[in-house]
Amino acid sequence: MHELSLANEICRIAEANAGPAGPAAVRQVAVEVGDQSGVEPESLTFCLEVLLSQPPFGSATPRLIRQPGDVLRVSYLEVDDGRPDD
Amino acid sequence: MAVRTIDVREKVMARNDELATEVRQRLAQHRVAALNLVSAPGSGKTMLLERTLERLGGDLTLAVITGDVQTQNDADRLARHTDQLVQAVVTGGACHLDARQVLTALDAVDLASTDLVFVENVGNLVCPASWDLGETAKVVLFSVTEGEDKPLKYPKMFRQSRYAVLNKIDLLPHVPFDLDLAVRHAHTVNPALEFFFTSALTGEGLDDWCAFVRRCARSARN
Repeated sequence: MHELSLANEICRIAEANAGPAGPAAVRQVAVEVGDQSGVEPESLTFCLEVLLSQPPFGSATPRLIRQPGDVLRVSYLEVDDGRPDD
Repeated sequence: MAVRTIDVREKVMARNDELATEVRQRLAQHRVAALNLVSAPGSGKTMLLERTLERLGGDLTLAVITGDVQTQNDADRLARHTDQLVQAVVTGGACHLDARQVLTALDAVDLASTDLVFVENVGNLVCPASWDLGETAKVVLFSVTEGEDKPLKYPKMFRQSRYAVLNKIDLLPHVPFDLDLAVRHAHTVNPALEFFFTSALTGEGLDDWCAFVRRCARSARN
């Protein structure tokens, strides 16, 4: 069940990169997952759904981007920071 | 209101890799090699270590960090066969060791008087492949009571390992196991994999294995 460890680390990275609005403003966490990364995508999605729906997050959802190779990285965050449109 | 995109592009394992680098630096500072033993449960990691400690414990100081999911049984078994340090990590359910656990365990190891550190990982051929522990090399064990296709089923672990031990070869006359096929499968996923063939029970093959452990300790010293 190492997907839970990975999900915890993904949440740590998301929290650290959320910016001034903080983790509660994160709407989506995009993660690139390689087919050789040793990660079971459905299990990782499940773990992330649980963690991202709890404080310090508000109602963020995961988006897994499947790729060839062994990549495993947080690609980007979508954040609703409450500011008006540019 | 706008939803903004923040580029992150950060490796999920980045923090673990930093800690693994710390482990590597600490080992290098004391010129100590570390072998990370990985296998499925029941392949014989603990027994191979018991026999290794018995044979080499007289003239090498071998430290062992064991990772057990819920008990300290492996550490207790090893402690019976050696008065060398055995540092147990009970993972409390986790399926692998990570670099932070190894770094913490190393605090209790007197590296200045240690020749080589064995890490006995949690029995699992999937998860430990993803965690760099700062080891010199991973050694993957499997046994003749398992399938010849184990390397094909768990390619990441066999690719990440530099050495392989095929254990329980005393059982070869009794089980339908094609040794050549197993080695071919392993070399399909990792052509550079170097093999040892052992029976921790009868001692067959342990001379070669122990000579290898000595070489590892010596090359780290030089």
